[in-house]
Amino acid sequence: MTAHSDPTALAVFDALFASVAEEMGVTLGRTAHSPNIKERKDYSCAVFDAKGKLVAQAAHIPVHLGAMPMSVEAAMPLAPFAPGDVIILNDPYLGGTHLPDITMVSPVFAKSQLVGYLVSRAHHADVGGMAPGSMPLASELYQEGLIIPPLHLLRRGKRNEEALSLLLRNVRTPDERLGDLDAQLSAHRTGEARLLELVDRYGQRDVARQMVALQDYAERLTRAAIRQIPNGEYAFEDFLDDDGESDDLVPIRLRLRSRGGRLHFDFTGSAPERPTSVNAVAAVTRSAVYYVVRCLLDEDAPTNDGCLRPISLTLPEASVVNATPPRAVSAGNVETSQRIVDVVLGALAKALPDRIPAASAGTMNNVTIGGHDDERDRPFAYYETLGGGAGAGPSDNALSALHTHMTNTMNTPVEALELSYPFRVREYSIRRRSGGSGRNAGGDGLVREYEFVSPAQVTIVGERRKRGAWGLRAGTDGKPGRDTLIEPGGKRRALPSKRSFSVQKGARLRIETPGGGGWGRSRTKTGKKQR
Amino acid sequence: MTSVLGVDVGGTFTDFLLWEDGELSVYKRPSTPDDPSRGVLAGLDEAGFSPDEVVHGSTVATNAVLERKGAKTALITTKGFRDVLAIGRQTRPKLYDLEPNRPPPLIPDTRRFELNERLDHHGETLEKLSKRDVEQLLDKLVKRGIDSLAVCFLFSFLNPAHERMVLDAARKRGIACSASFEVLPEHREYERTSTTVLNAYVAPVVERYLSRLSEGLASRGVGGLRIMQSNGGSARTGATASLAVRTVLSGPAGGVAGAFQVAKAAGQDRIITLDMGGTSTDVCLCDGSVPFTSESTIDGMPLRIPTVDVHTVGAGGGSIARIDAGGALRVGPESAGADPGPACYGKGTQPTVTDAHLVLGRLRPDRFLGGRMELSVAAARRSLKPLARSFGGDVQEAARSVVRVADASMERALRVISVERGHDPRRFTLVAFGGAGPLHACQLAESLGIPRVLVPPFPGVLSAFGMAAAPVTTDHVQALLSTVDTSAAFQRRLDRVIERLESQAKRELASQGYTRRVRISRSLDLRYAGQSYELTVPIASTKATTYSRAFHAMHRRRYGHSDPSRAVEVVSARVRGEAPGAPVKLDRALSGGKSKPLPGSGRTPRIERVPVRFDRERQTWLYERSELKSGDRLRGPALVLQLDATTVIPPGWHGRVDRIGNLILEQER
Repeated sequence: MTAHSDPTALAVFDALFASVAEEMGVTLGRTAHSPNIKERKDYSCAVFDAKGKLVAQAAHIPVHLGAMPMSVEAAMPLAPFAPGDVIILNDPYLGGTHLPDITMVSPVFAKSQLVGYLVSRAHHADVGGMAPGSMPLASELYQEGLIIPPLHLLRRGKRNEEALSLLLRNVRTPDERLGDLDAQLSAHRTGEARLLELVDRYGQRDVARQMVALQDYAERLTRAAIRQIPNGEYAFEDFLDDDGESDDLVPIRLRLRSRGGRLHFDFTGSAPERPTSVNAVAAVTRSAVYYVVRCLLDEDAPTNDGCLRPISLTLPEASVVNATPPRAVSAGNVETSQRIVDVVLGALAKALPDRIPAASAGTMNNVTIGGHDDERDRPFAYYETLGGGAGAGPSDNALSALHTHMTNTMNTPVEALELSYPFRVREYSIRRRSGGSGRNAGGDGLVREYEFVSPAQVTIVGERRKRGAWGLRAGTDGKPGRDTLIEPGGKRRALPSKRSFSVQKGARLRIETPGGGGWGRSRTKTGKKQR
Repeated sequence: MTSVLGVDVGGTFTDFLLWEDGELSVYKRPSTPDDPSRGVLAGLDEAGFSPDEVVHGSTVATNAVLERKGAKTALITTKGFRDVLAIGRQTRPKLYDLEPNRPPPLIPDTRRFELNERLDHHGETLEKLSKRDVEQLLDKLVKRGIDSLAVCFLFSFLNPAHERMVLDAARKRGIACSASFEVLPEHREYERTSTTVLNAYVAPVVERYLSRLSEGLASRGVGGLRIMQSNGGSARTGATASLAVRTVLSGPAGGVAGAFQVAKAAGQDRIITLDMGGTSTDVCLCDGSVPFTSESTIDGMPLRIPTVDVHTVGAGGGSIARIDAGGALRVGPESAGADPGPACYGKGTQPTVTDAHLVLGRLRPDRFLGGRMELSVAAARRSLKPLARSFGGDVQEAARSVVRVADASMERALRVISVERGHDPRRFTLVAFGGAGPLHACQLAESLGIPRVLVPPFPGVLSAFGMAAAPVTTDHVQALLSTVDTSAAFQRRLDRVIERLESQAKRELASQGYTRRVRISRSLDLRYAGQSYELTVPIASTKATTYSRAFHAMHRRRYGHSDPSRAVEVVSARVRGEAPGAPVKLDRALSGGKSKPLPGSGRTPRIERVPVRFDRERQTWLYERSELKSGDRLRGPALVLQLDATTVIPPGWHGRVDRIGNLILEQER
C-alpha cells in the first residue's frame, strides 16, 4: 500500500525530519569532549519510525549507514520500552560496527504512544583493550576493547550507574568518555524535543503517515535508479592484500543479481573469517552495499528505509564479510569495508559500463603513533587516516589525495600536529603519476613523510600495497601504495601493509598511498590527459 | 554639510543610496557586468548625485574568483609542501558521489614552487633560507611572466624572517607579492595558504578596478572612496596589504549591517535577517551585535578573515519548481536568474517562486518595479499548469505548494542559525529585505514562533544603506599558541602583543585619515588544551583569570558545558580598530526620499481591494508604501507595495509604521 504521497508534504517533511537528525548531530558535535567527535565529525544521528524503520539520517560517515538499522533491531529484545529509556551498545555482533563506535537508541513517546526511535553513533577515542585507541592488530574481539551488549543506560530517565561505572572503569580516559556519552544523551534530548514539536504541530497520525510516505518516496527514487541496471547477473571479485598474519590474498566475491527493480548481493565464495582484525561484521558489509546504492541517487535524496527495501543480501556465515564472535573486527570496519565497495562497484560496472568509475585507493591508510614525548614529558598517542587517489569515471580525470568512499574525515594540519606531538611532517604532497592512466586519469595518491623527534611505537594498517586499484574500460590500474622506514643512517626498509614496530629518534616513515584506477582507452600517446 | 553615497553592485541592478544631511535619495539602474565602474559612474550622472564620499560594495573580487579570472599567480612554499593548496583537508565535498569533484586550486601545479627552508614549532630555524635560492627562483618567475606572487612557509606566523626575505626581494623587482604573515598570521597551513593565495590572485584585479573607479570619481569631484569589507566595515582604497581578499565575501555584509542599524534605531537589537533575492536567501542572527566568523569559504576554498556570519540557501524568487523522479515537489537550487527570469517575465517557461506569488495575487502584475515592468499572469499560470496536473489540483493550489516548499527550505536555514546554535527565535525580530524577503517573512515568523517582523523603509536598497552608514574598520591578528598561565610574565607577553596590534590598528586608521573617535576592541581566540577549534572571546582586560572566566562562560553557552579546572590555550590575539564613517543617523523618518518627520495620522492611504489567495481567497487591501506615515496602522490581509518590494500581511497579522518609517508587523493574539 502506498501511503499518502502529496508532493508538497514530501518536500516539507523531508526537510523537517532531516532537521531533527541534523539538530541531533549539531548538539552531539557541540557538546562532545573529544576531538574525534568534535572536529573529525566521526558520528551519525538518525530518526526511525515506530516500527524501527529508518526515516532520516544525518550522516557524516558512510560506514554508519547500514549499521544504524541493525542497532535498532538489536535493541528490540529489550522492549517493551518506557519513556526515558536509552539503550547503549557497541557489540559489533549485536548492532555495532567496531568497538569504538558506541551507539545509543531511545524510544520517543507522545502521550504514552510510541512515535519512533532516535539513534546516535559516535566514534569514541578509547574503549579499552590492548592498545590506546582501541584499534590494535588483534586476534580476538576481547583484545580490542570493552564489549557492550545492548543494555539500558537510562531506564525511565534514571541512569544505570552500575553499568556506567563498569564501562568507565574499563576505558583509559573515563572523564572524556563520560563527557562524550553525555553529549550523545543531549543529542537524544534535542531530537526528542524536536520530534515532539512536530507531533504537536501536525498531529501524531500525520507524522506517522509522513514517515511512511517518505520511505515510499525514497523507495521510488531508489527503484528508478536501480531500473537503469539491466536485468541480469554480474560477478566480480577483488582481494585484500593479506590479513596481516599470513601473506595470502583474501578474496571477496560477489554475484549481483538485478531483476525488476530489485538488487540481490550474494557474497558466497568470499574468504572464511581470518585470525586478525580484517573481518567485517554483517553491519559493515551492509553499509558498504548501501553506500554504493545511495551513490546512484542524487545528493539531496533522503536516506531512509525506502532506499534499503529493494536490496537484499546473502552473506556467508563466518566469512570476512560476515564474521562471527569472537573474531577481531577493527580493520574490517576501515579497510575491508573499502574493498567491499570496490567489489560492488566492479560488479555494477559490468551492468552500467558508462556510469561506474574505476576503483579508488581502497584504503584508509591508518597510522597510529604512540610513546613518550620527551619535549613535553608526557605519554602520547596519535591516530590518523590518509587519503589516496579517486578512481576515474566517464566524466573527467579523478581527484587526487582525498578520502574516498567509506570515510570522509579531515586531516590534521601539519602545524597543529607538530605543535602537539614529538614528530614532524617532512613532506605532504601528491604522489605524482600514481593514478592509473586512460581517457580519464585516476587520481594520484599522496605522500606523507614523518620524522620522529622521540622514539615511538608505530602501527600501520593499510591496503592496496600489492595490487593497485583497478582501471576500467582499458584504463590502467593505479600504483599500489608503499610504506618505507628510513633509519637515521639513511638505510631504507620496505614495510608490510599491516605492522606494528618501534622507531628511533631521527628515523623517518614514508607512506605513499595508492592512486585510483584510470577509465577508458587513452587518446594521447603519453596515456594521460594533461591536468 | 556632509554627504555620502552607498553603492551596491548586484548581478542585475546597481543600487544607490545618498545620505545628505539627513535627507535620503535612492536610485537604481542596470549593472554593467563587463566593467561595474561604468554603471556606478553612469548612475551618479543620471541621478545627479555629487557626494563627498562613496562607499562601494564591489563584486569584482568575488567574480574574479568564481570565474577564475584573477591574476596569473605563483606560489612559493616550504620544501615538501607545494601541494598543500591542492590537497586541502583531504575531504570530498559530497558524501555520496561516484565521481567526486571540486574546483581546481587557483594556482596550478606548474606554478607552485618550493624553497629549501624549515622552521620548527617554536619558530626556530631548522634549515636556513638561502638568498641565492630566492633570487634564482624569482628570475624563473619573471621569465614565466607571472603577475602576482603568494608566499607561505610553515610556521611563518611564529617567525616571518624567511617570508620577509622573499617579500622584500619580490617587491624590489616590482613583483606584486602577498606574504602569509601579513595576510593571516595564524596556524593551520592550508587555510593560511588558501587565504594568502586568494589575496594574491585578486589583488591586481581589484587594484586595477579601483584605480579606474577612483579616477572616474575624481573627475566628478568626488574625493573619497571607501570599499566595503566582508566584516561589515569599510576601508579606504590602498589601505591594508590584504584589502583585496577582504572584499571577496563583502556581498551580504552591507545588508546585514544595514538591517542591524535600522532595527537598532527602532529599538530592536536582537534580530534575524532574511535577505531573499532572485537566486538565494541569506539569513543571519544578530544577538546584540553583528556576528562574525573566520571560517568562511568561497567556491570550496577557505577564507579565514573575519566575515559577517551569514548562512545561505538556494531558494530565491527565481528558484525553479519541479517534480522529481520520486514524486516530490522541489524548489531550487536551480534558478531562472535574471535571464530568462521567471515565466511571468515573458521569456522563460519554467515555474518559479515569483510566478507562484503572481498567480496567488500577492504580486501585482501592473505594479512590479513601480510599474516599469508588466508581469504576465497568463504566462505564470501556464508555467504552473504541469505541476497542477501532476498533483491533480488547480493552478492556485500548485502555486501555494511552491511557496510552501520554498518556505520550508528557508525555515530550515533559519533553524540552523537560531535553534541549532542555542538561540530561541521567540526572542528575536525578523528583519525582511531584498526583493522577496517581505513576501515570505510573516509566514516564516509564524512557523518559527518569531513574534515580530520588521520591514525597513527601503528593503530593496538596504545593502546600499548599510554601506553608506558603515564605519571604517581594520582587523589585526597574531597567533600566540600558548597555554594560559596567571604569571606576570605571561600577562606582559600578552600585553606586548596586544599593544603592538593596537598600534598597527591605529596606524592603519590614521593612514586612512581617521584619528578621532577611534574605538579599539580586543579579543582572544581561546580553547581548552587539546581542542582544535577555538572561540573568539571579547576581552576587557588581559588578566588571565578575567578572560578565562569569560571563556568558560561562553563555552558553556555555546557547547553546553565548561571545565574551569582544565588548561586553556590562547591561540590568537585579535584587535579591531573602528572609526565612524559618515555621520548617518536614524532619528527621523526615512520613507523613501521624504525628509520631514511624518506626524501620525489615523487615515491610511488604501489604494484598492483585490482578491488574494491565502488559506482561501480573501479581499485584500493594497497600500502604497510611500504614502504610509509614522503611526499608521494596517490590518491583514493586506499588501504593501513599493518600487522594489511587496510586503504580505497575512490574515491575523497587523502592522504599524514606526517613528523612522519601518513597517512593524505582529501577529494578533
